[in-house]
Amino acid sequence: MSLAGDISAGTPRIHLSKDMQQLIYRLLAAGLLCVALSVATDAFFTTNNILNVLRQASLLFFLASGLTLVILTGGLDLSVGANIGLSACLAATVIKATGSPALGTLTGLATGCAIGVCNGLMVAKLRIPSFIATYGMLWVLHGLTYYYMAGETIHGFPPGFRQIGSGYFLGIPIPVYLMIGFLIAGTVFAQRTVWGQQIYAIGANPVAARLTGIPVDRRLILVYAFSGAMAGVASIVFLARLNSAEGDIGEAMTLPAIAAVLIGGASLFGGVGSVFGTFVGALILTLVLNGMNLLAVNSSWQPLVTGVIVIFAVWLDMIGRKRS
Amino acid sequence: MKTLKSNLKLIAAALPVALLSTGALAADETIAVFTKNQTNPYFQTVRVGAEAAAKSMGAKVVHYIPTKPDSIPEQLSQIEDVIVKKPSAIVFVPVDYKAMVPGVEQINDAKIPVVNVTDRSAGGKFLAFVGADDYSLGLETGRYLLKEMGGKGNVVILEGVKGSLTNIDRVRGFTDAIKENKDVKLLASQPANYQRLQGLQVMENLMQSHTQIDGVLAANDAMAIGAIEALDGANRKAKVIGINGTKEAVDAIKAGKLLASGDYNGFVQGCIGTMVAIRALRNEAIVTEVVLKPTVVNASNYQPYDVPLDARACPSWADAAAMATKTPTKTN
Repeated sequence: MSLAGDISAGTPRIHLSKDMQQLIYRLLAAGLLCVALSVATDAFFTTNNILNVLRQASLLFFLASGLTLVILTGGLDLSVGANIGLSACLAATVIKATGSPALGTLTGLATGCAIGVCNGLMVAKLRIPSFIATYGMLWVLHGLTYYYMAGETIHGFPPGFRQIGSGYFLGIPIPVYLMIGFLIAGTVFAQRTVWGQQIYAIGANPVAARLTGIPVDRRLILVYAFSGAMAGVASIVFLARLNSAEGDIGEAMTLPAIAAVLIGGASLFGGVGSVFGTFVGALILTLVLNGMNLLAVNSSWQPLVTGVIVIFAVWLDMIGRKRS
Repeated sequence: MKTLKSNLKLIAAALPVALLSTGALAADETIAVFTKNQTNPYFQTVRVGAEAAAKSMGAKVVHYIPTKPDSIPEQLSQIEDVIVKKPSAIVFVPVDYKAMVPGVEQINDAKIPVVNVTDRSAGGKFLAFVGADDYSLGLETGRYLLKEMGGKGNVVILEGVKGSLTNIDRVRGFTDAIKENKDVKLLASQPANYQRLQGLQVMENLMQSHTQIDGVLAANDAMAIGAIEALDGANRKAKVIGINGTKEAVDAIKAGKLLASGDYNGFVQGCIGTMVAIRALRNEAIVTEVVLKPTVVNASNYQPYDVPLDARACPSWADAAAMATKTPTKTN
């Protein structure tokens, strides 16, 4: 295709034409899934179910969108799931103790962000590989949360606060608005701002980035802080939606979040990926679960079906990338 | 929320090495209590039960809990640890009923008496087994729901972790209860892996394809309460049951949101398991198997469950012995 004619491999800069082509291929997998499900069951293609899928995808997206920036720099944040756990439990405690959802929300966001800054400092200043730094952080957070909660749950929050997770505005769930907001903000930040472009550049070639005068350390701290803060956002929406906090709530979410980013076309080596791609990745993972539930796929087959669809979606994407 | 007091208790629990190596305690009976994780409230009830029993009998408890929930290698290395430290006896919940058999054999080789609690180990030698029967728990709790539904309507099952012993038996109990009622239709049986969020999402999805769901059978309380949030969010009503009899479930029963929760009675399991271990050390009579009868906690009988764990008392030995399903065979 002539659209992508001027692109040389490994260029960190973003060219919309190439992006567009890849996005079409990426959406192809999600689109095929939707078509297949629409044919298979009447319950799939209804306004209710589409909103249902979007709302379910939002939690995963919040977590994965911050993580996308980290992966763009060639790093990894394994602590996001554990981060949700601690942020949610502290936020819940504050809401219960003060009766103020605003203070609780602030606590959740601040906790998430502070954890992210710690990760960033370890990676940027102490030069600890991100996998190890955030893996260590995962255990520290689990340890703190389990100790603090001692196997208990905190539940029952004010109805006003619960609107964040379970409310509607003009017939559309609030978390869907939040997701669209973060999707736009994240895309603009990554593609249209100097800082965003610097993040791509760091991932594509950290040495070159340093030599061209990009403040690499500060940008690294920034992306981990974003990742932590988004885990904080997820923790608040989680609380508002589930009406309950327990120590292990984020545990099962780390791997799906990483998977959403990678299904969305990001590379673990950095420099490649987009927030929109991650949105599609989160959507595909959510669609798989939704489809299996609607079709009542036997529980014995569900892990296998999930695996096959994920591999198939990424394979489609690879074909797309070779073509462009 | 538990306050500082119970947290301090957990600190004590987290420092087995420090406690065991304290010379002053060397003469006392020390019971090492192995549980699966720090996250499931159920195992907290087992631990508190064990502590209550030990306290009343003047023994010490040391906890061994994998930091990574349900980790097989971690529990195996904790067993190697405990064999070196030689506690008087062990109360043992295997993280996996098959995979931990070699670990149990190591304990047997080290001649440390051991009581099996909650999940019945597939092998090894134990003084006794103390547990609840997941199948009858599922069956009785399911029957209660279907009776409350008037023996007719549409139901869905939320399954736990595929392949786990508790899940297989609970779901079998549920389906057998459903089979007894020919006017009850099982619409779907889907996994939500004992997770609250998945309970919510799977229920949301099931409501898309089924316009009329009258009852939900969830294999634990967290999924049941997740399902209730999904129903509330969609302004739909269904009768929901869970399993474990957790504090949160009792609150939901009081609020009229949850119909019932099958009680797994972790507290009593912890009590009796520890009592058997200590009595064996003192050469007192023991029982070799206690399989607790299921209790369906509901709006009419929740009161005994509505007290803090630390305030509950273990059953007397006479009561415990009366619950025994097997006693040692006389050899004279």
